[in-house]
Amino acid sequence: MAHTRGDNGGSDVEDPATIERIRQVLIRAVQRHCPPPLAAHREDLVQIALVRLLERTAGEGTAARGTSYLWRVAYTVVIDEIRRFRRQQRQAGQLSEDEPGAPGPEARSEILDCLSSLQDRRRTAVTLHLQGFRTGEVATALGWTEKQAENLVYRGLADLRTCLEGEDR
Amino acid sequence: MTEPSDDLVNRFRAALPHTDETRCPSAEEYWAAAVGELPFERLQVLVDHGAKCAECAEAWRILAEIRHEPDAAVGSALPLHAPRPNARRSPRVRALVPLALTAVAAGVLWVAFRPAPVEPLAVERGNGQGSFRAESPPVQPAGEAVLRWSEVPGATSYNVTVLTEDLVVVHRSIGLSSRELRLPEAVGRRAAGTGLLWNVDAVLPDGRTVASPTFEVRLGNDR
Repeated sequence: MAHTRGDNGGSDVEDPATIERIRQVLIRAVQRHCPPPLAAHREDLVQIALVRLLERTAGEGTAARGTSYLWRVAYTVVIDEIRRFRRQQRQAGQLSEDEPGAPGPEARSEILDCLSSLQDRRRTAVTLHLQGFRTGEVATALGWTEKQAENLVYRGLADLRTCLEGEDR
Repeated sequence: MTEPSDDLVNRFRAALPHTDETRCPSAEEYWAAAVGELPFERLQVLVDHGAKCAECAEAWRILAEIRHEPDAAVGSALPLHAPRPNARRSPRVRALVPLALTAVAAGVLWVAFRPAPVEPLAVERGNGQGSFRAESPPVQPAGEAVLRWSEVPGATSYNVTVLTEDLVVVHRSIGLSSRELRLPEAVGRRAAGTGLLWNVDAVLPDGRTVASPTFEVRLGNDR
């Protein structure tokens, strides 16, 4: 069977090289996707997250759960850490609500209104696509075939463009 | 292939409003969504939230980047032991399957409902033997299999785990309000001509979980 959920691939999750690769990927992801005030702290954020990751997985028998389990925990701890960091910054008044790149209300409503007007399945597929998910990943999340996902993303994007053209006129 | 949509991606990301993150779903739930563990209705709520919240959109994008890593994308990373190749042929091992499945289901539930640090969730395992029975046919078409089960009094939702006979989890649905699960067509078709094992956990209002025995469904070869 082609499906490999739960397959740990036989990796040694305690391998320092695995942890180092996770660290590098997390640092890159925070740098790419977080606004500059947060990205500037990426090394610290990821380091704290990794400490929590190792604390959480200690004694859990992670070898049986595989590397993908480690990625799962790594993702949750880094997001929790980012949220905690933001809370602290907000409380300290150091993080502006108008972070760079925030648009005006007109541009904001246009594309989001068009997106929300799409049919449910197309909207879900297109939103995941806009968030950076590849077609196969959209299919996995939604439990569809890759062909179905590709079709829905394609049609959803077409609908979105049509709607935006109407709004622009 | 889909058309290049960088312009839309940039426009979408720039349009997202910031929030104070007080009502944002947990990171764990986002991961569960990405690996296909959530029913469509819940996934839709999470995805729609990400289109209204710059901070959660950021969490989605980080998730997407991590999922691009080959060993992060292999599955739901459940605490399963590697299946033994000859497990199905050995009667002795087969006799241990129900026990192993209970352990697997316990692990699945533990991962899915790992207690929060401040409010540990009480999970009661192995107590639903008399409460549950399968109500769907034991043999079904691969492309349209529906799993149904009997009601557990007081249950607020149900979690369903579907596994191959080698104990590899192929689908999981969490928080179902109805007592049936339509197996995703892709999952059913991949298992056409074989059997799938499935179990249900009823979630009670106080957070305890009542576990079903493991049921089996045979899927026809209806390609």
